[in-house]
Amino acid sequence: MVEIPQVIRAFGTTFLNMFKKPITEQYPEEKHLYPPKPRFHGRHQLNRYADGLEKCIGCELCAWACPADAIYVEGEENTDEERFSPGERFGKVYQINYLRCIMCGLCIEACPTRALTMTNEFELADDERGKLIYEKSDLLAPLLPGMAPAPHSMVEGFTDRDYYSGKVTGATPKQIEEAGN
Amino acid sequence: MTILANSNQPKSNDNDLITAVIDGIAVRVPKGTLAIRAAEMLGIEIPRFCDHPALSPVAACRMCLVEIEGMPKPQPSCAITLTEGMQVKTQNSSQVASSAQEGVMEFLLLNHPLDCPTCDKGGECPLQNQAMSNGRADSRFEGTKRNFQKAININAQVLLDRERCVSCARCTRFADEIAGDPSLELLERGAKQQVGVADDQPFESYYSGNTVQICPVGALTSAAYRFRARPFDLVSSESVCEHCASGCSLRTDSRRGKVLRRLAGDDSEVNEEWNCDKGRFAFRHLMQDRITTPLVREHGELRPASWPEAIRYAAEGLRNQRAAVLAGGRLTLEDAYAYSRFARVALGTNNVDFRNRTASSEEQDFLTNHVAGTGLGVTYQDLEDAQVVVVIGFEPEEESPIIMLRLRKAVRNKTLKVIAIDSANSLGFKKLNADLRLTKPGNESAAISELIKDLQDQNSIILVGERLASSHGAFSATVAVAEKVGARIGWVPRRAGERAAVDAGLLPNLLPAGRKVFEPRDREVVASAWGVSVEHIPTKPGLTQLEIISSAVQGEIDAIVTAGVDINDVANHAAFAAALNKTFVVSLENRASSVIEFADVVLPVGAITERAGTFVDWEGRLRTFDAVMQESLALTDARVLHLIAIELGHTFKDDAKVTSLRSSYSSLGAVSKPGTMNLVAASTTKTGLVLAGWHHLLDNGSLQAGEPHLAATARAVVAKVSSETAQANGLISGNRVIVRSKLGAITLPLEISEVAPETIWLPLNSEGSSVAMQLQIDIGAEVSVSDGGAI
Amino acid sequence: MTISEQTKIELRELMSRYPQSRSALLPMLHLVQSVEGYVSQEGIEVCAVEVGLSTAEVSAVASFYTMFKRYPVGKHHIGVCTNSMCALLGGDNIWRTLSKELDAGHDETTADSMFTLERIECQAACTHAPVMTVNWEFMDDMTEQKAAQVVSDLRAGKDLQATRGAKVRTFKDVQRTIAGFDDGLVDEPSIDASMLAGLNEFKNSTKGGK
Repeated sequence: MVEIPQVIRAFGTTFLNMFKKPITEQYPEEKHLYPPKPRFHGRHQLNRYADGLEKCIGCELCAWACPADAIYVEGEENTDEERFSPGERFGKVYQINYLRCIMCGLCIEACPTRALTMTNEFELADDERGKLIYEKSDLLAPLLPGMAPAPHSMVEGFTDRDYYSGKVTGATPKQIEEAGN
Repeated sequence: MTILANSNQPKSNDNDLITAVIDGIAVRVPKGTLAIRAAEMLGIEIPRFCDHPALSPVAACRMCLVEIEGMPKPQPSCAITLTEGMQVKTQNSSQVASSAQEGVMEFLLLNHPLDCPTCDKGGECPLQNQAMSNGRADSRFEGTKRNFQKAININAQVLLDRERCVSCARCTRFADEIAGDPSLELLERGAKQQVGVADDQPFESYYSGNTVQICPVGALTSAAYRFRARPFDLVSSESVCEHCASGCSLRTDSRRGKVLRRLAGDDSEVNEEWNCDKGRFAFRHLMQDRITTPLVREHGELRPASWPEAIRYAAEGLRNQRAAVLAGGRLTLEDAYAYSRFARVALGTNNVDFRNRTASSEEQDFLTNHVAGTGLGVTYQDLEDAQVVVVIGFEPEEESPIIMLRLRKAVRNKTLKVIAIDSANSLGFKKLNADLRLTKPGNESAAISELIKDLQDQNSIILVGERLASSHGAFSATVAVAEKVGARIGWVPRRAGERAAVDAGLLPNLLPAGRKVFEPRDREVVASAWGVSVEHIPTKPGLTQLEIISSAVQGEIDAIVTAGVDINDVANHAAFAAALNKTFVVSLENRASSVIEFADVVLPVGAITERAGTFVDWEGRLRTFDAVMQESLALTDARVLHLIAIELGHTFKDDAKVTSLRSSYSSLGAVSKPGTMNLVAASTTKTGLVLAGWHHLLDNGSLQAGEPHLAATARAVVAKVSSETAQANGLISGNRVIVRSKLGAITLPLEISEVAPETIWLPLNSEGSSVAMQLQIDIGAEVSVSDGGAI
Repeated sequence: MTISEQTKIELRELMSRYPQSRSALLPMLHLVQSVEGYVSQEGIEVCAVEVGLSTAEVSAVASFYTMFKRYPVGKHHIGVCTNSMCALLGGDNIWRTLSKELDAGHDETTADSMFTLERIECQAACTHAPVMTVNWEFMDDMTEQKAAQVVSDLRAGKDLQATRGAKVRTFKDVQRTIAGFDDGLVDEPSIDASMLAGLNEFKNSTKGGK
């Protein structure tokens, strides 16, 4: 029996593969061929109530829970003139350092108002360290229809308790006007 | 186990000890010891809210219930005094006690809101902690919690959230028993019970911040610290208060290099565990208006410069000049020591004075012989143990608030009588139930001489304040009386650094540690401690601040080094400005000041949080502290002076680091034999209307800058006269009064009050009443007054 | 309204009756009620100055005791006992009737400022349950009809006698009596045979025994 030279065998493998279906992902041109699972831990998001007020109360429990010391929060007091969240307190500074974050989700569990959740967004790479410290403006949830951007007052006649129990359904004309100003 | 009485326990000898058993451990304690205290000594922690060792027991919260053999129901251990053979079982050994505590905790939490995430106490809250350690896992309460309006101000800097209150009455007891400002009370009853103030009156107290610190829940919080941080963000450092000579130990909490709050430190020998609102809330000066780089004057303008350039510039300006050092009264001992040395060796002069205020040669003589280098003298404990304390030219609450608390403690115990010789009555004197001898400024020495009959055969102490320097013969009279009756004298300056300045020899006739310029032996000792030849210490006594200013105006002084001096603090500030204008001025400062505009070189030094040091409080006690901001690169005054000295060609034994200066100073030891001052007779009694006054604790002082919440609790700024004086001068209560000196006028609302005859009283540096700047006179000077019409 | 000099003299007289003047605070606050119709802020301030307490301390006392009212009381104060004994014997019904009749709830004053209605706690007169008080004078053995009659008589300005005989005056007048000033009515009857029944029974039963 004549041995087929090694080199021809190797090319044979190449030749055979030419007829197979390619499995290469065209990332980033084609992104959503394989979406992450629904419970994938991606970038955080700071949620809003249905009228656009922020859910974050600046309590720092997320920062406390964080095992990687990736979260920095400074609280501040809401005033009648400038209200960002229902109740007395809101998060003035909110930073997550994605160079530190290990995506464990303990912060989500710690959040008492469900202000902090995680999205499925996984594209957390950049060309500069500073850019990977996400500020509050980077993390805030987008305004959905019916929301007015904070600061504005609470829905008239409602207390922070009503907000927590989900009674607010959307911004009132008064709130929209305040937000517009 | 035998536990001996400490200072908080009733004094006792062995016969007064009783034996009780706590959790099976026998303990011998003095009679009258509370069960909870004895348990603490054994290391057994009984949960509690209302109990506080410095406040009287009330058993309001019921959290500390324990089982006591022979008693039918659990008893509050904070209010039960142990008796011989008493068997106490805490939650550690008794199911009854443990379930009683769980029950109480469940009740306390019925109305407590679940707002820990927004509450400033969250993370350092005894209620949170004890709910975890001694509470049930869940609540069986299904009703609605009581609702109140959220945080309301009980004064400008303390907020009250009644929903969170557990009615422990710590704050109300503090207000009544410790501060003596009983305007905080438990109102209503039963389910409606709440802490509150009367409709017309906020919680006006110089000590209000302490209620925030002792509140065991988040019911009382600080407006300035509101929502600023969580306990785990903070780096806590022990520090010492820089505001007055009380010497309070503080806890400074900072986050990322920024001081966010200050709390009273726990020091049983000094401030116990209290402090005043100024010490607690006035700290923005540490960060505001800071000078960050050296500045040198070029073509009439200050411009930033490098350190080597600025040091060289300063050294050139000072080289071979007739120089002087004005060193303020706010320096640490180490810095003051460095100034003292720099003046003598590098500048070759004894022209050095720390007294940026009213001063006299009589006072200087007194300080030289009775204060400098004497070490720990009259102490807080001595005040508490005395039978009579006389305060002269010194209002304890306004000028050294912790002394006021100590005196009040003893007055409340009915062991102490306070006599005051001053120009006007005050809330502080009233709280001390003081026997007030109203004295027209200048006439103090006569009133002092009459003290002999009060102090005979009494354990007595005389406290004299810095204001006494304006009264001729007063220090002499005090010393004479004290010698005659065997009283001890305590000198209480207003500023934190004055005692250290005296000890460091920042006076024209003094070297450090009470050594005297004119004593050859003293000069030798000091020179050897400094590591310089004795010829380097000038022998001729120097000039005082007043003389330095007038000499500079006349062109006899060429250069002045200043530190922490505000020209607006002194009556002759116009001359002061002229003197600085004429001379080469080197200013060592950490923030913008009134001297900067005259300075030729400005050298930035670290704020008090950025370096280690030692304050010497009025007792003479060394209050040593470390830097709060450990990572700070700021220089101390001493290091900067050292650099200039090297540039001028002088070196010392040490490197001018804080620790080496400290040991250099302590190597000098205490003075072996205190001197005696020359007693001078009082000058003739002043006629006509004269000015009296003192500084309010909260006023326009530069260290209180940028504190709106604190400033809002300052006392009303009014002029005070007696009704006789008002009548004689045609003044009407409630109207304005215009007070005139030859150089200016002050207009204030008039209040008829208890004031010495022929005297008008003004706050010295409050909003609208800056006596030094507007009237340009000292207290004791003659003024004229007239009615300023209705308000 | 302001506290007159005359009242201040009387306040001081009350203080002089005690070794420590602050002991007089309760009668003093009653005297304030007799002048102002309630414990006014001014009354609190005057008392505070007189006895040397802070206004907060006086407010604490005034808000602790329910007999001190912090809002103006009507001309007549009507209390209906609704503790268990009276409530079971008809007190609850009387309360409902009067509350409807006067259109006022607990601690509320009628629109015409004639009456203030209050649910009161046990008056220690269960013998005569259900009881009602008019300006703290007893109205014993009440029924809904009798209670309504009392109210309409008072409204009509008729002279009224408490069931044990005392003359019914106004709330302010009675406050002055409580404050400790003689109203000349000390001999008015206040006790009757049924109130003494229990005591007599006790005396009779022990007579044989001893």
